[in-house]
Amino acid sequence: MSEILLKSENLARAFGGLQAVAGVSLSLPAGRVTALVGPNGAGKTTTFNLITGNLRADSGTAQIRGRPIMGLKPWQVARLGVARSFQDLRLFTHVTVRENVLAATETASWFWQPGGSRARRQREDRAAAALEATGLAALADARAIDLAYAERKFLSMARILAAEADIWLLDEPASGLDLASRLRFGELLRAATARGVAICLIEHNLDVVAELSDRIAFLDQGRVLAEGEPQAILRDPALAAIYFGDRPQEAA
Amino acid sequence: MTAYLANLATLVAIFGILAATLNFVVGFAGIFSVAHAVFFGLGAYAGAQVALQLFPDALLACLVAAIVAGGLSLCLALPALRVRGEYFVAASLGLQMMATTLFSEAKAFTGGIGGLVAIPRPTVAGVEVGVLPLALAALALILFLTARLQRGAFGRTLQSIRDAESAAEALGKNVAAAKTLAVAFACAGAGIGGALFALHLSFVNVESFTMDQSVLVMAMVIIGGTGTLWGPLIGAILLLSLPSGLAFLPFIPATEVGAVQQIVYGLAMTLLMIFRPAGLVGDLSKGRATA
Repeated sequence: MSEILLKSENLARAFGGLQAVAGVSLSLPAGRVTALVGPNGAGKTTTFNLITGNLRADSGTAQIRGRPIMGLKPWQVARLGVARSFQDLRLFTHVTVRENVLAATETASWFWQPGGSRARRQREDRAAAALEATGLAALADARAIDLAYAERKFLSMARILAAEADIWLLDEPASGLDLASRLRFGELLRAATARGVAICLIEHNLDVVAELSDRIAFLDQGRVLAEGEPQAILRDPALAAIYFGDRPQEAA
Repeated sequence: MTAYLANLATLVAIFGILAATLNFVVGFAGIFSVAHAVFFGLGAYAGAQVALQLFPDALLACLVAAIVAGGLSLCLALPALRVRGEYFVAASLGLQMMATTLFSEAKAFTGGIGGLVAIPRPTVAGVEVGVLPLALAALALILFLTARLQRGAFGRTLQSIRDAESAAEALGKNVAAAKTLAVAFACAGAGIGGALFALHLSFVNVESFTMDQSVLVMAMVIIGGTGTLWGPLIGAILLLSLPSGLAFLPFIPATEVGAVQQIVYGLAMTLLMIFRPAGLVGDLSKGRATA
């Protein structure tokens, strides 16, 4: 069993009367892809937001390598090695592709970055490698806002690659990609897991899930209903009924 | 005529400093402050007080002005930076209104409505100097620093915050610290502009630090081109030369110049937003960026 890099226990969060996340426990092992699957509103993105500190949890805990992260700010969680992508990408639209990726390597908020020119060259190399891996090297000088849809998705991945985090939280990174792009995306994930990165993937396309994930956690109404091997979860008729909207009647 | 042009050039340099520093927060960090005149005023009063109470050394006056304006911007910015976007505009509006009242009332520091008068001529190391070379040097320094920051990592951090604050934070950037630093840098620069302004006019009062002034500086930035290096300076040159230019036109009666000026400003802003929304310089550099 590989090392658990990120672990959450009983995370819960309500918005007014709506219990968006109702006790989610997750473990992300190094070198594995865990898919979060479930219908819209199941609490998948909210779970990400609770882990990254974008939302405060009402209760529950989370740790990175045993270190508690509840109450930390998003940038502090990021510096512990968590990188995330957003459903709506949130690229730095008015700067170039290269600058988008370079920005991911420059975390100091002071007027200058530590390490001098040697560290700067290393950051530039990291950015160039991330652009190469995502197939964006030829577009390095284009502005992010001028990219096509799939290129934007890969730019979002390039930022994560360059950030050199070992825990990736990816929110629908493959949605809307054609087959060739999806294959390239799969290669990115496999290269990362081979390096020991723990990946958590929110994905609606069950083909993508079956293809890329090692484990599935099935969420519904803020709870993990089932967790296990992809084939077992995907073949479960009760889960399929929930996922495809054919929800069984609540027991009286 | 030479004295007239020297006066105009000094004012252009001072307002160039104001516009360039405001551009730093508006154009790079995306923080829309309509309170820049407050820090201009703080610097002017601080610089004037140094000249009046201690000795009229221009560099000392600028240093104290930068510390006072930059330092107070920290206290005032910290709560205000917690709010985003249009809410920050409203918060800075409140700050501007409050500061105008404080400037009129804090007589011991500002001289009240009457202002501070008889500010002695500036010196550097005991030798009397004109404000124009000092203002040009300060402008050059601020443009140089802006260019350095624009190309470097800090400029990239601010631009990433401007474009997608939550993504910048998710990449490990301490957004609040970077914004605070940007605001302090810009306000310290505005303070230097204020000290030079006080030394230049040898008189300051609250009239120069009102909302109108903040809006004028914002107009310079927008007309010249937000997020560009030279745009704010061009905006400052245009908006300061316009009144004098209009005064030379024989068919406008002297008493109506003010009204005509307002109409020309309004018309120019409207046309600009329709045809060159990125400002006069903005379109050019955008064309280069996508070429």
